[in-house]
Amino acid sequence: MQFLVSRYNPESDEAPHLQSFEIETWRGMMLRDALLEIKRQDESFAFRHSCGEGVCGSDAVNVNGSNRLACITAVADLKAPVTVRPLPGRPIVRDLVVDMSQFYAQYRAVTPWLVRKDPMPEQEIRQSPAERARLDGLYECILCGCCSTACPSFWWNPDKFHGPQALLTAWRFLADSRDQATEERLDALEGPYRLFRCHTIMNCVEVCPKGLNPTRAIGHIKQLMLGHAI
Amino acid sequence: MSRTASGLRAWVLQRLTAIYLGLFTLYLLVLMLAGGHDDWQHWRELFAQPLMSVATLLYVLALLLHAWIGVRDVLIDYVRPLALRISLLTLVGFGLVACGLWAAQALLLARLH
Repeated sequence: MQFLVSRYNPESDEAPHLQSFEIETWRGMMLRDALLEIKRQDESFAFRHSCGEGVCGSDAVNVNGSNRLACITAVADLKAPVTVRPLPGRPIVRDLVVDMSQFYAQYRAVTPWLVRKDPMPEQEIRQSPAERARLDGLYECILCGCCSTACPSFWWNPDKFHGPQALLTAWRFLADSRDQATEERLDALEGPYRLFRCHTIMNCVEVCPKGLNPTRAIGHIKQLMLGHAI
Repeated sequence: MSRTASGLRAWVLQRLTAIYLGLFTLYLLVLMLAGGHDDWQHWRELFAQPLMSVATLLYVLALLLHAWIGVRDVLIDYVRPLALRISLLTLVGFGLVACGLWAAQALLLARLH
């Protein structure tokens, strides 16, 4: 099976280019296995990967035009030749390895932890099953970056727009019954950029390997913001 | 309001104006298809009615607001150089206000005739 893989060495190349590799596939082969096979053929090839089970979120790449985790993408489901590029819109460090600093900076910007104003209790802070259920579909995010790097709004303004990943996280803490910083969180999202660059393009929903829905989360934030404004 | 342009207010206004624009456009379409307003005299009389006149002025206002927010969003997305962005925003702003005044003038003349 033919693979066209994006190669870029900042020390010798002016621009990224595609290199063709012929890989012998086997039953149940995942794209990550194919990339490892390519690395066996050419050990100068660089890509990130770790757990191999779709949990760590390291091996997000752009496959035939859409962002996916290589480790849970079956080669058999892909159309040959398989074109593998780095996540779009991010500075390329080398081959498929991109610089995700801005993505993590946006994540940090939404205060991704519980904020309590009351004194911390001796025991755990209790939640009803219904309150806990509100976090389903939000807490599962693994920060692979598939969604934010598929978002045109994030491509244009990665320094100012939080992007779908960070906004999903923002809603995850706004929706949490134990969090006590709702007003501060909403204030931090006001303005034309941080939240409102989202134009519900929904690329994020389409690519999320965990099946999460950042667009819906963003809608919930807007509703909550409206409720607190009038 | 913070020092930055508004986010929530623009977003809500865009949606509210969209509802009014949709409903009024539908109403106008029905009027046109129903017939009876197919010459200038009839149109003038229609838009000279006080209620219709005010509803149309509101429509123009909603249209301008809606267009302003939409164009502003596009410029914020794609035009990064500050001087160019401000120039374009100013140009669009003046253009939209001119359209609004022109429409208001037409409605006023329809009532005066």
